[in-house]
Amino acid sequence: MNRALLYLWLALLRRKALKFGYSLRRPTSLLGFLAVVSLLGFLFYFRHEKIMGELVRRENLIGGALVMLCGSLFKGFLQRGLVCEPADIEFLFTSPFTQRQIILYRLLPNYLFAVLQSLVFIGLFASHFQHPVLTALCLALFQIACFHLATAAAIFGGSIPQETHYRLRWMMLGVSFVIGAMYLRMAWGFRIVPAFCSSPAVQFLFYPAVTVPDSVNAIDVHRWALGFALTGTIPVPQLWHSTLYFGGFALAAAASLWLLLQFKTSIFEASLGTTSRVAENRRRLKQGRTTTTESPRAPHSFGLPRSVLFRGVGAILWKNLVAVRRCKNEMWVALFFVLTYTGFLTALQFIYYHLAKKAGGAPLYEARAFSSGIAAFLAMLAFFLQRIFPFDFRRDGHHLLSFRTLPATPLALTLAEIAVPTTLCLAAQACGVIPLIIFGKFDWPTLVFIVLGYPAISLALNSVWNLHYLMAAAKHAEGQASSSAVGMVMVVALSFLVFYPAGWTTVKVANHFIGDQTLAFTLAAAAGLLVQYSVDLLLLLAMARLFQRVEIARES
Amino acid sequence: MMPESLQTIEAAARPTSLGARLLNLFVSPALVFDEVTVAPPRAVNWLVPTLLVGLSGLAVLGSTTSPEQTAAAIQQLLDAGTITQDQAASLTLHWQNVSGLALCLGAFIGTFWSAFVLWFIGHVFLKCRFGFIKALEVAGLTATILVLGTVVTGLLVAALGDASARPALSLLLFKLAPDSPIRVAFGVLDCFHLWTTGVLTVGLSRLTGVSLKEAAFWVFGYWVGVRITLILLA
Repeated sequence: MNRALLYLWLALLRRKALKFGYSLRRPTSLLGFLAVVSLLGFLFYFRHEKIMGELVRRENLIGGALVMLCGSLFKGFLQRGLVCEPADIEFLFTSPFTQRQIILYRLLPNYLFAVLQSLVFIGLFASHFQHPVLTALCLALFQIACFHLATAAAIFGGSIPQETHYRLRWMMLGVSFVIGAMYLRMAWGFRIVPAFCSSPAVQFLFYPAVTVPDSVNAIDVHRWALGFALTGTIPVPQLWHSTLYFGGFALAAAASLWLLLQFKTSIFEASLGTTSRVAENRRRLKQGRTTTTESPRAPHSFGLPRSVLFRGVGAILWKNLVAVRRCKNEMWVALFFVLTYTGFLTALQFIYYHLAKKAGGAPLYEARAFSSGIAAFLAMLAFFLQRIFPFDFRRDGHHLLSFRTLPATPLALTLAEIAVPTTLCLAAQACGVIPLIIFGKFDWPTLVFIVLGYPAISLALNSVWNLHYLMAAAKHAEGQASSSAVGMVMVVALSFLVFYPAGWTTVKVANHFIGDQTLAFTLAAAAGLLVQYSVDLLLLLAMARLFQRVEIARES
Repeated sequence: MMPESLQTIEAAARPTSLGARLLNLFVSPALVFDEVTVAPPRAVNWLVPTLLVGLSGLAVLGSTTSPEQTAAAIQQLLDAGTITQDQAASLTLHWQNVSGLALCLGAFIGTFWSAFVLWFIGHVFLKCRFGFIKALEVAGLTATILVLGTVVTGLLVAALGDASARPALSLLLFKLAPDSPIRVAFGVLDCFHLWTTGVLTVGLSRLTGVSLKEAAFWVFGYWVGVRITLILLA
């Protein structure tokens, strides 16, 4: 080893250590470092436990050694040449150092790593070995051997043509798989390949390089044949039935194919139109819009009503109501869904009410628990409906910039946009809430909270999904990628999380007044509602803010 | 007077009879496959060798089936409760018939399978275009060696009086029990298997036009590498 290179390595090591120390000033680096130290400390604290001894069982050590060996070889081979720092290329390669000296210089950090790893190993597992020092020394040397192999593989990989490298890479992967599978079989008794694969019958896969009598005398073949004919007489009627069924369906398939092929009409023109339409629908769905429907005539115009409600920013409300009226198919589907959902819940309540009446009346706490469950299910309805009623920002993607020019504040416009889907959700929930009020045994405060609670839930859910849409629109305007599947999952999670503060507050307040049931319920529900409406307000403000951001992004 | 090299080319270009092709395969498979590659598809090229495999297999089946081993295998299933006594009796009674039927079916299925493997290797790994029927002809003709292998196995069994005797390295250890792991391991290295694999290599090389080394990599990889891997892992 050249002394100059040794000095260079030490100097660089010192600089790296200092740099690492400085990097700990950053919270993320510090957190990462502390996480590793905590894990090591945790393991060190429990180093005498039995489970730590299990980690260094013979089988585990062999498995680890195999992973290290195969991993080193494969990693080195993939590198195709030694990986050096750019400065090394400029300084070392042009200096009068021999190839061996440079290789040793590149290996010095690896040697240090092997020694440190062995020290950590001996610190954690020393109590589980008869000769811990010897084991740690062997581990360090084995790790060093692996580094040598990786370096050799890297140098060899760099010296062969691309095609050979590609093939050897796959061969190494295959050999590693076989070694891994053999290890699993021998050390843990786990077979990746099923036992029947060694049967002589399976040798037919390698025909004509087989010994035919061996293959046909395999017991598996005869057991298989046993199921066919050797168990007794062949059930002829059943065979005929099966043949008839099979023949009938085969005939039907063949006849339909013949019929299909008899068509002389040109398929190309019709296919062109259909393909374009499907492609357009896909594009619209990708943009968050609804699919197009072939309407034979243009939709009717609707004049703006004279009501004060639809003046000013209320015109947006009117526009969304017109959109609702034009989406008849979606509305019919929504109505069917709502009636099925609420009908089922109402039927449940009706059955419960009559059964309770027959039994002389259910206990009050039980009746209330049942009604609360139904109420929770009705609240869930908003989760499903908010996707069916996207009559808000989600249908106005192309008009967002125009809306910004309207003489209305962003918050007012946001409220106008969100009003229609929220109202529709509430109307749908009302189908279930009215029977709930009739059959459920609620006192007046509870009824008030139910009536006030559903709007808060619908508003929050619709706000979350509009927020997501606006964020995606802002990203799209900035030229970034649109939301991914992970983003969608996050939105779904957020749909639930927006109720967490209110739920947490309700529980805390209820526990605080646990002595007085009535007070606990009333105050907890009131506090929860207050928090939920505050969250809703924050969501609306965030939406208004994002609505402005979309425009800024577009302008820039 | 015609030079010797020209005479060889002319001889190679001249179509030969099926019998000549089957015999030439033992001594000069490259010439046979050269002829098959350029000639129009002929069903006899794979049909006749496959039938011969079936016939030769049926001829030696009786001598290579050890009643003791059969009885032991059935008894093992009986002990494990997998089959009933009636089924065991049925198995013993129909053993030879089932073996014969499986042999004939297996020869055809095996020919198609090996042709598919050759065709798949050629198309997917070697990126060469050739018809499946050509691969079928190569696989079928190669099975001629299997006919010889089956006959030799039958003669070996008759000569040694041991139904488990095979023309493989295990022949050196035939004093060991047939189910001994060492004997089973040595039995994998059957000289007829290696010969067949070598001929398949030549066939693939001629079909695809790649070098013999390249073809050997894929053919030996499947017919020897995968086989040994399956035996080791399963």
